[in-house]
Amino acid sequence: MDTLMGQEAPRLEASLKVTGAARYPGEMPMDGLLHAALATAPIPHGRVLRIDTAKARALSGVVTILTHENADRLPPTEYLMLLQDPIIHHAGQPVALVVAETAAIARRVAASIDATYEELPAVTSIAQGLADAFAPKSAGRAPTDSRRGDPERALAAADIVIDRHYTTPVNNHNPMELNAAIASWEGEEVTVHSTTQSVFGTRRIVAHCFGLPIDRVRVIARHVGGGFGGKTYGWFPCLMLCVMAARRTGRPVKLELTRPQMFTLVGRRQDSLQHLRLGATRDGRLTAIVHDTIAQTSPFGDYADANGGSARSLYACPNVATTHRLVRVNAPQPKPMRGPGLGTGSFALETAMDELAEALDLDPVELRLRNYADRDQNEGLPWSSNGLRDCYRVAASAFGWEKRPRGIGTMREGHHRIGWGMAASSFPVFRMASQACVAIGRDARVVVRCGTQDIGTGTYTVLAQLAAQTLGVPFAQVAVELGDTLLPEGPYSGAHLATASFTPAVEEAARTLRDRLIERAVADPLSALYGAPADQLTIDDGLIRSVAGNRSEKLADLLARSGDGLEATAGAQPDDKVTHSASGFGAVFAEVRVDPELGEVRVTRLTGAYAAGRVLNPLLAKSQHVGGLVWGIGLALHEATVMDRRLGRIVNDNLADYLIPVHADMPRFDVHLVPEDDPHLASGIKGIGMLSIVGVAAAIANAVYHATGRRIRDLPIRLEHFL
Amino acid sequence: MSMQDETIEIGLTVNGRSHRLAVPASATLLDVLHDFLALTGTKKGCDMGSCGACTVLLDGRRVNACLALAAQQEGREILTIEGVAREGALHPLQAAFIARDALQCGYCTPGQIMSALGLIAEGGAQNRAIGEAEIRENMSGNLCRCGAYANIVSAIVDAWSSPA
Repeated sequence: MDTLMGQEAPRLEASLKVTGAARYPGEMPMDGLLHAALATAPIPHGRVLRIDTAKARALSGVVTILTHENADRLPPTEYLMLLQDPIIHHAGQPVALVVAETAAIARRVAASIDATYEELPAVTSIAQGLADAFAPKSAGRAPTDSRRGDPERALAAADIVIDRHYTTPVNNHNPMELNAAIASWEGEEVTVHSTTQSVFGTRRIVAHCFGLPIDRVRVIARHVGGGFGGKTYGWFPCLMLCVMAARRTGRPVKLELTRPQMFTLVGRRQDSLQHLRLGATRDGRLTAIVHDTIAQTSPFGDYADANGGSARSLYACPNVATTHRLVRVNAPQPKPMRGPGLGTGSFALETAMDELAEALDLDPVELRLRNYADRDQNEGLPWSSNGLRDCYRVAASAFGWEKRPRGIGTMREGHHRIGWGMAASSFPVFRMASQACVAIGRDARVVVRCGTQDIGTGTYTVLAQLAAQTLGVPFAQVAVELGDTLLPEGPYSGAHLATASFTPAVEEAARTLRDRLIERAVADPLSALYGAPADQLTIDDGLIRSVAGNRSEKLADLLARSGDGLEATAGAQPDDKVTHSASGFGAVFAEVRVDPELGEVRVTRLTGAYAAGRVLNPLLAKSQHVGGLVWGIGLALHEATVMDRRLGRIVNDNLADYLIPVHADMPRFDVHLVPEDDPHLASGIKGIGMLSIVGVAAAIANAVYHATGRRIRDLPIRLEHFL
Repeated sequence: MSMQDETIEIGLTVNGRSHRLAVPASATLLDVLHDFLALTGTKKGCDMGSCGACTVLLDGRRVNACLALAAQQEGREILTIEGVAREGALHPLQAAFIARDALQCGYCTPGQIMSALGLIAEGGAQNRAIGEAEIRENMSGNLCRCGAYANIVSAIVDAWSSPA
């Protein structure tokens, strides 16, 4: 590893994006393209009795209409595939796919599809289905329940107990780009342009559903307009209809969801009821943590966010129990959404920690320092690294935390109340297998090939940086190919695992290529380096030279002479044997300004410090951390998908009524990257995309308490909380 | 019931080029940019005027192309993101977006840039001292889900002193 802090290279594909030249998957030009649109059910539970498409089929411009009566039968999968039977599980579920010559015709015909339904009783809230709560097989990537020590006894014996209930609402990913796909068949081969966080994952499901050998399916996504979890497997069922329609019509078909459909057909963050109990000694040592979550899932699939993840590992505590239960609601299928589990779970834990600090009259940072976990007690493993204490120190100092008055509502600015709050953040490190190829041409231009995606996270840029640094060539000479299943298989873009996964593979491929270039120079009688000992040579800024510095040759000259380029492919995968527990850590400090008459809450400052391993590009890393903080503001103050409990329909399924943070909501951001050398992780990478949303909602809620004395335990914080 | 629209012939100028087009009466300017002119830089994020991803300049003023009927644009001059760079040279605002890392996924970026160009034009030379808070207020019709807002405002401030 050369350095813990990489170069501030500008985004590799930025000029394409600022000129409008970047083509996203739904924008690929295609001859003879047909357009598809979905007709959806208005009822939350029931069955289609009759769906009349005869009149619609006869309309000019309509090519075909798929319903459960004529759609291809797909083999079983772990997803609810659409148009396979007449059962309706939630409002917004597709009942027909209209394929037409233009998008306008498809949309209008879809809206006019005439269906009659038998309505069945529906469960439209967690509260209604509480009696039937059940334990899922897992909570995210973690076990459903955990238990160490004897939490009940420890609670009974504790000097101080905090026993509180918290709720978080349904959220939707809402990337700015609508999910879209274009599928086109040629014989028994299909090419799919899809807005996806995993081209290889998409290829596997398409091959499975349509009974194709894997190499007959090509999936392409060169640019993706944001994902946040909404362009993963939740999108597969709609995508399969697009592929099916293209096969049925023998022409390329484009399906683009509408914004309202983005609230029902690509996944959602489930709403949760969380019960959190802390037991502590008088001097602020945690003796018990019990964190029980009940959350929504759909009638047809189980998914539970790991809300208890922070409670299990963040603090040292001998007696801990966590549980996750689900309630089936006639509502869309939940899926991971940025910072899954810990984003919402830490709201409960970190608010409760603030309540404990208040009860003990202890500074919230001091309380956390007293409970620092020097190993992962849940896994029973040492940390690969844990920079949490550095994060507290760096962020507190940058924020000016030492000037915080302990009293509530004592800071004023005119008639506004000012409050300061903080919280810890953490998110586990995940990795998957990845391959990568690094090639150099006769012109000494380098290409990195890796079948991962860039969903806005800077993947193009860091792939180029990794190859440039490891190989020893200028960044400007490196091009990147990604987002295509013809490339070596790369990782999924989610759970902030992509960079941690592909970096070891790219570095290995680049090192191998460097060695081969040196071998070639040494063996080439026309090279200035002919016969030099290979271990005495290095490549730097496009020049092969001896370490002593007295002999050198440009890579371009060496390659031009020898007739062909060189390439190297490498693969990397997670270690089978887990010897350490790996997480990224951070601390976030918030300042809010509350209008005591109107109840308006404005976040005015957010300061975050993050220790998350090696940083490949501080410019892009800071942008991503700020993005996570913005998501935290949305979780804290804005976002809630509202279900009409009587009708079982979502009432705010658009970007005017589902509030997300806008320019005017932005505070001053101050992000600090705490350098961290983690010798136990391949290439030292932890991943950052999830980490910085975690803790923000609690930091803001804690600041609101500090400003007003109102302890808000239900997100989002809204005006009505201050009435 | 007919699903086909009546078509209407219009003449308009897009990025300095004149076009005569027969467009469906119900087609939005956004649809026509995509489907008739293959200009996909103008993005669709909501199709109801609430996200700003389709912002273009219409006779110099910013509009949501998803809310403008194409048939009503007879004789108008439209500037889209594809017409902002001149002869291969980026506009200072585009360069500032790159330098400030004012984009992540890039999908809202064309709308942010068009909106900011409109804002700069609306402000005029006498109002260059417009504060960051006022920029934020005036840019709040352009949503960015990646959360690049702070860098977008920095880029606008940088470019304000050198509008083309």
